[in-house]
Amino acid sequence: MSPLNLDDAATLLMQLEATDTADLAVLRDALTDLAFENRVPLRAQPHVAKAARVLGTIVNGTAADVQAAFTEVGQSIEEAMKICDAATPPAAVGAVPVAQALAGTVNGATAIAVASGALKKQTQTAEAETAEATVAEAAVAEAVLPPPAVEASVVVAAAPVASVAPAPAVSRHQPPAHSQTERLPDDADRDLLPDFITESVECIAASEAALLSLEENPSDEEAVNTVFRAFHTVKGTSAFLGLTRIAEFAHEAESLLSRVRDKEIAYTQGCADLSLRSVDMLKDLLDVVEKALSGDGRLPLPAGYHELHQALASYDPARDANGVTLAIVPAAEDIFPAPSDAASGDHGSAVSARAESGQAASRKSGESNADATIRVRTDRLDRLIDMVGELVIAQSMIAGDETIDTSTQYELQRKVTHAGKIVRELQDLSMSMRMVPLRPTFQKLARVVRDTATKAGKTVQFTTEGDDVEIDRNMVDRLGDPLVHMVRNAVDHGVEPPHERTANGKNGLGQVRLHAYHASGNVVVELIDDGRGLHRDKIVKKAIEKGLIESDKGMSDSDVFNLIFAPGFSTAEKITDISGRGVGMDVVRRNLEEIRGRIDITSAPGKGTTFSIRLPLTLAVTDGMLVRVGSERFIIPLTHIHMSFRPEPSMLSTVVGKGEMVLLRGELMPVVRLHRLFDVPDAVESPLEGLLMIVGDGNKRTALLVDDLLGQQQVVAKAIGDGLGKVPGVSGGAILGDGRVGLILDVNETVALAQNTDSSSSLTRSVAA
Amino acid sequence: MSTHSDSTTLTQSRAGKYLTFFLAGEEYGLEILKVSEIIGLQPITRVPRMPEFVRGVINLRGKVIPITDLRRKFGMAAEDSEDSCIIVVQMRGIQTGIVVDRVSEVVAVAEGDIEDAPSFGAGIRTEFLLGIGKAGGRVKLLLDIDKVLATSEIEALQAAQQAA
Repeated sequence: MSPLNLDDAATLLMQLEATDTADLAVLRDALTDLAFENRVPLRAQPHVAKAARVLGTIVNGTAADVQAAFTEVGQSIEEAMKICDAATPPAAVGAVPVAQALAGTVNGATAIAVASGALKKQTQTAEAETAEATVAEAAVAEAVLPPPAVEASVVVAAAPVASVAPAPAVSRHQPPAHSQTERLPDDADRDLLPDFITESVECIAASEAALLSLEENPSDEEAVNTVFRAFHTVKGTSAFLGLTRIAEFAHEAESLLSRVRDKEIAYTQGCADLSLRSVDMLKDLLDVVEKALSGDGRLPLPAGYHELHQALASYDPARDANGVTLAIVPAAEDIFPAPSDAASGDHGSAVSARAESGQAASRKSGESNADATIRVRTDRLDRLIDMVGELVIAQSMIAGDETIDTSTQYELQRKVTHAGKIVRELQDLSMSMRMVPLRPTFQKLARVVRDTATKAGKTVQFTTEGDDVEIDRNMVDRLGDPLVHMVRNAVDHGVEPPHERTANGKNGLGQVRLHAYHASGNVVVELIDDGRGLHRDKIVKKAIEKGLIESDKGMSDSDVFNLIFAPGFSTAEKITDISGRGVGMDVVRRNLEEIRGRIDITSAPGKGTTFSIRLPLTLAVTDGMLVRVGSERFIIPLTHIHMSFRPEPSMLSTVVGKGEMVLLRGELMPVVRLHRLFDVPDAVESPLEGLLMIVGDGNKRTALLVDDLLGQQQVVAKAIGDGLGKVPGVSGGAILGDGRVGLILDVNETVALAQNTDSSSSLTRSVAA
Repeated sequence: MSTHSDSTTLTQSRAGKYLTFFLAGEEYGLEILKVSEIIGLQPITRVPRMPEFVRGVINLRGKVIPITDLRRKFGMAAEDSEDSCIIVVQMRGIQTGIVVDRVSEVVAVAEGDIEDAPSFGAGIRTEFLLGIGKAGGRVKLLLDIDKVLATSEIEALQAAQQAA
């Protein structure tokens, strides 16, 4: 933190003159920071703040009498020092005489030269830090300095000056808490805050509407609940984010509403007034947070906060039924708490303080990387992405147009290529607009780990890696729940209690790690714990008990582990309130399948378990294999395809003359003829001339008969016409390279369809006709 | 929407401009406000296991929209001509296309020129008709497109398929 202390400030002040505005400004900033950093006792803070303020008037040239202002600053610092002396432990008291002695004795040319020299070398922070260390040593040294230390003392005098510069820089990054004027908490999460603000603003807007309808119809319980929930949400989230003021206030507002909800008090005029004002106040508070976020992190209280807070807390239905009179609201509390003895004549300084914070804000915004965002309706965004996709197709049609003679129309071709580059860039950009980092999701999980570990009596260290990996916004939401389940499981079932860990020769602190990374066009999220791992035998026993399998013969480890995703499967010996009801993992898998994710487990007993979730980058784009069936084309999602091959006659067999089967490496699979299922004319009839494509997962694999593979392609999945309703076997459509629509097969549905349909005849057409 | 069977509301709302088109020699009319555009016939991707009158889907500038063949829908012989085109209609926010033989003109039909569809007895369904217009000396069959393309009918057909 900022190494400047009061003594340094005093020393510095003596060396500066009214014309050294730049240096004075640095000193003022340093004092301001000092006032807000709890490094001086509470009672000293007003004095320091005052010194900073008066110094500000000198810097701005608004001080009426510069000399008097200087004196005032000096006095303020002296006052503050006195309070400090009284408050600080004896060891540190020694520092004051040392510094004073120094200021007195070394008040010669050397010190000043060194000091101002150091000021100009503000960048040399490393030097300053070294010097700072010297200060600390000197501080505990005896007051009477032996001759060899004189040299060092010059350094001491210089040190504070040099270290003034880094002070504001440090404070910008870690806004310290302050008892008078709130600042964003040190550990405030600047990534979560914008989300919090948007969410809260929406909540509050909803509650405002509900409050207004409540006024018309005071018995509307749903409205009361809406408002209550809104306040409750704001309270919960703000408390989590360390915004205590907002949490406190929302709590009071919530309490009032809860009394209304419980029919303890009637929703009267006064109550309505208060609630609406609370809504306004919450808006103001959020405004302040938003400003702090883009500015210097200060959280001044909106006008009337205390009064309203008070009125809420002391709401008396008998007295306040017809309206609440609030205490007269004084002018907005300024960021500088005015000490009672200097309450008058502070108007100008308040202005300068504001100007200063304005400066700070603009300085901040210049270098701020806080993302400016705009909320766009997703359907518009989707439309934009659609249009860009169309543009790509249209462009490639132009580029491929036969009328462009490549040998003569060189210029035209060059222009088309150029346009093509721009279009492709546009496409990448439009795709990236849907992407958001995983960070917020991971951060929520940290909380889950903490809570679960506390409940289960375990000590767990949670680390995340790759939280800047981006995935589709739609998927982030749906990834959250499965991950919560899995993380809970990892902590509750995976990680052993500390005593068991130490008994097994492990570190008592369990490790749970989330790791996200890109791998071959997918995003992989791994959840790794170093707990007890999965026991194959236990799972097999349980699965046989539950009738899921008959024996584990021929099952690989991964097959066995996958059994834990079966509905109703749980190996936990006892059901805790955290997990063990056996509803978790099948939900996990289902949710992940919805976002086309695949989950794999690797585990070693006693070493731990790794769950790895493989997700597509975005739901909008499907990796598909384009296949031809007769004259029609279909897209089969790549995630479902295991392999394709041309069968030998010996591999094929029929059951009762109808059901076709193919035997591949000892595995017998039913053959589904796509052309029959979908009634496609002119398709290849014999599997020996076509291709069999193995699809499906686990034990239920099926071979689809197609004519040919046309190649792998990334396609944008779209709903096929709303007017059609649900099309069996088809999950959507995609615009192919030639501008036509290709249908994306829903493999599971297609297979189910084939099983339910008599594959030797196609009823579809005859029914429809 | 205008799925009222109440004849008074129908009478009030029937007058207006209609886009007329031909279908096997008969002239039909479609409320102009329901029409969003007319496009040429283009390759249509067949959707399997759909009723025959669903020709399939096309790509309308990045949107996939279903195409209904009105000839087949009305049980006429299916055949495309050079003049065949697709009228894209907008109903209840959903875009869908219908294939017709030829687009004719836009006519204003006054309320006085519209008669209720006569009953032809069993076998001929007239619930698709808003009425019969007599503008320009020709008879124009005014379609209630919402009823023509009602999804409930498709769903009913699908249910029939699954039962079969």
